[in-house]
Amino acid sequence: MANILKIQKKLSKRFGDRVKAELDGDIIRLSGSLSDWSEVVEACLMSSEKNSNIHVVNDIEFTGAEIPKMRVPSLSDDELEGKTPDVLVIGGGISGCAIARELSKWNINVMLVEKEADFALQASGRNDGEVHVGVDLSKGSLKQKYVLLGNRMYDKVCEDLDVPFERIGQYACFTQSYLYIPVWLLVQWRRFHDGVTDARVVGRKKMLEDNPTFNKDFKFAMYNGLAGVVCPYGLTIAYAENAAENGVEAYLNTAVLSMDTENGEIKAVHTNRGTIYPKIVVNAAGVFSDDVAEMANDRFYSIHPRRGTNSIQDKKAARLINTIASVQLIGKQTFSKAHTKGGGLIRTVHGNVLAGPDAVETFDKEDISTRPESIKTVYDKQKQTIKEVSERDIITYFTGVRAPTFEEDFVIEWGRRCKNMLHCGGIQSPGLTAAPAFALDIEKMIVDELSKSMKVERNESFNPKRHGVPVLNEMSPEERAKKIAENPDYGVIICRCEEISKGEIIDALERPLCPPTVDAIKKRIRPGMGRCQGGFCSPLVTKIIAEHENIKISDVRKASAESVICFGETKGGALND
Amino acid sequence: MIKTDVLVIGGGPAGLAAAIEAHKNGAKVILIERESRLGGILKQCIHDGFGLVRFEEKLSGPEYAERFIDEFRELHIEALLLTFVTKVQKTESGFVATVVNRDGVMDIEAKSLILATGCRERTAKQVFIHGTRPAGVFTAGTAQHFTNLLGELPTKKCVILGSGDIGLIMARRLTLEGAKVLGVYEVKPTPSGLTRNIHQCLNDFDIPLHLSHTVTRVFGVDRLEGVEVAKVDENMRAIPGTEEYIECDALILSVGLIPENEIAENLGVEIDPKTKGPKCDASLMTSVPGIFSCGNALHVNDLVDYVSESGETAGRSAALFSGKERKMASVIPGDKILYIVPQKLDTLSVGSETVVYFRSKEVYDDSIFRITVDGETVFEKKYAFLRPPEMEKVIVDFSKCGLSENSKISAEIEVTVK
Repeated sequence: MANILKIQKKLSKRFGDRVKAELDGDIIRLSGSLSDWSEVVEACLMSSEKNSNIHVVNDIEFTGAEIPKMRVPSLSDDELEGKTPDVLVIGGGISGCAIARELSKWNINVMLVEKEADFALQASGRNDGEVHVGVDLSKGSLKQKYVLLGNRMYDKVCEDLDVPFERIGQYACFTQSYLYIPVWLLVQWRRFHDGVTDARVVGRKKMLEDNPTFNKDFKFAMYNGLAGVVCPYGLTIAYAENAAENGVEAYLNTAVLSMDTENGEIKAVHTNRGTIYPKIVVNAAGVFSDDVAEMANDRFYSIHPRRGTNSIQDKKAARLINTIASVQLIGKQTFSKAHTKGGGLIRTVHGNVLAGPDAVETFDKEDISTRPESIKTVYDKQKQTIKEVSERDIITYFTGVRAPTFEEDFVIEWGRRCKNMLHCGGIQSPGLTAAPAFALDIEKMIVDELSKSMKVERNESFNPKRHGVPVLNEMSPEERAKKIAENPDYGVIICRCEEISKGEIIDALERPLCPPTVDAIKKRIRPGMGRCQGGFCSPLVTKIIAEHENIKISDVRKASAESVICFGETKGGALND
Repeated sequence: MIKTDVLVIGGGPAGLAAAIEAHKNGAKVILIERESRLGGILKQCIHDGFGLVRFEEKLSGPEYAERFIDEFRELHIEALLLTFVTKVQKTESGFVATVVNRDGVMDIEAKSLILATGCRERTAKQVFIHGTRPAGVFTAGTAQHFTNLLGELPTKKCVILGSGDIGLIMARRLTLEGAKVLGVYEVKPTPSGLTRNIHQCLNDFDIPLHLSHTVTRVFGVDRLEGVEVAKVDENMRAIPGTEEYIECDALILSVGLIPENEIAENLGVEIDPKTKGPKCDASLMTSVPGIFSCGNALHVNDLVDYVSESGETAGRSAALFSGKERKMASVIPGDKILYIVPQKLDTLSVGSETVVYFRSKEVYDDSIFRITVDGETVFEKKYAFLRPPEMEKVIVDFSKCGLSENSKISAEIEVTVK
């Protein structure tokens, strides 16, 4: 049990009487008032114990700025009014979508709601896509357990869901020879104690032979051959599509606003699209998982949002790297302590080079804006991995917000004060790697629970196989010609950088759950992801969407309902061709 | 397999001129165009001012293109439209291009190749604009596509970053469509576009031009709601404290064009880091024998007239290409020259009328452009002013200076101090 007196003593020494700690059942509740967000984070972190299941709940009043409220879609209707799903999954990120898909193996009524205009629009779509090996984690945490299980599942999951995945290995590179022995010992410990069976130490000669562009100052590296890359939003969308194909009802632009509870049980869930009456609620709400927990009077952990910015380089830069690599800096950023695996430089599954991410605490859960200093931090570091890496090759950059608890572990358990809420909170890196594994455990927890009150049977028509949109530019000329003969639109190239055809765009529009927006098409099949960033193809994609949906061009959106692209016809109107 | 003498990739002004000229020089020509109509980017350039040099007439972009398209059709040159080149390979006898279109996948064998692939626009992220990612950030060409080809208004109230010509043209165009252009912001202390465009597109419409300013951030989650602009120092870095928030619904970027040379690079063509186009000799042959470059793929032109001219040179050279030996000497630009084309001369076939294009690095008044070979002046021209946005063309006679591979050919701008 946490020693609350000891915690209070530490807090008083640092913050005087500005922060108070109290033990509230199995919660360490902090209260008081601070004007600096970094102090709020510091107070909570010094009160917490890593991986502990006694969580710090942050009730400190932050006076430095107004914390923005959760953005809610403008849509308002009663489409979902009165629905009674067996399971309501809140959140269309990798966790929610994977859980929904695994639950679709059963003859139960599963509904998923996502407040954004598409799946994987927040953390699941804004990360580096690395499939981790867990070499930075010690035994005993949920993260460590699920990262190992999840990593091994990737080949099968990606094959079933028709998502590209590649095990390209990972190097953690060291410039200090004196660290060889400690790192070697750590590697043995990880292999034989923690189950990270692929960990190795690789000498300088072999490392530079295989990776001639690496910094010549490296003396050795820790290497993990099972590290891989996947398209994080591609996998999330694939899970969602397969869930839908197997009977899950999923709704975008649908935000959970509040809940009615009675005797520690959720009775009703209010959304902008009506009130839902589920038996079980799965809280996979990412950065908002503590807010959703609060709605059910079950907030026993707090999320402290942490921004991370990644940049994507032109495919031309892929000549520099064919793996995952990062320099290991000693000091504050040591690999075992940093709040990011360091990411580093990653050759993505689509053949770009990704650099990042950094890690910056923020009070704004939806602050996805980028800042120049993030790019600088990452490049200052990664130029020590590969000297030729240059900001000049950047074609885009983006920011995501991680959802850690102060204990930095996942929260996967039934509610403590609410019986029918299952928490899947605190999911941050390596959440993408872990999701396929914890989704199976959550499936089992839910089936066991539902079985107490109803007969739960297998969904006999469940099909684990999903077939994505065919990728024409990866086909042999013969295969490609055959597909074009079937549908000539496959021969009309719309996106020149990524070589995407009109036929593929129409296929994507016809996939389950695909919103007819420019960003949704971009995320599914990549027009606009290349070096011109949609300069040439975005008007064409807009026009194809308008034609396919039979709407006006000015009614096509980038993503959300408010993301207007064009305001209507010019004085002369459209050209007739 | 389809066979041809000359394969032209790109059906814009450069490719059209190249195909016509190659045909006139006796070659069998096939032109590949990825869009459904010939004309390239001229199709969306509905303003006038095209053809002043060539036709001594003010034409609109489509009118200028039509003159070439008409001739192209009259000569019955073969064009494959809505056709995209996926790969080009070098073979013993020339090149094989793999293309896709609605009929399938096919290979085309050619003795020589003309790359007339144009250029693309630099994007917001390439000039390191930060902030959110709303709808409403357009490159000027994309905004022009929406406005002029799709007939859709992409903004009601915008800020334009960059004073490149397309940005200036769009400032006027959007104003005529009833949109409010709040200002054009240029990071450099001098405008990037042609002087005539500054007058005709900005001054005539009271659109302010803010030099030494840039956009540092965009705001808005769904649609753009505003931008932050700031003054910049001599190193073009934003000066803290000078930031200003401007409410608008779009940011339109005209921050530079980059020649498209992915096919060239895959074939091992040497690229000039200054032009970002292939290094060519006076016949516009690249470092790979049989591959020619022209138009904006070679270097970014400010007048289409010169695009057509380089297309004709490349077309003629490609038709007459025989694979004979070349002995190259480099043209070395001095420090006041932004770039010079051609970058190399074939000393075995030196013409008396070599066309040389160059741009100055900065604005220079009263200066002399000079070419020397081994210290001897072979060409000299006085300029009252030289400006980077305005490309200069001169014709130089290299035939009498006994060029060899060891010749030191230099080009220099001398500013005459008063």
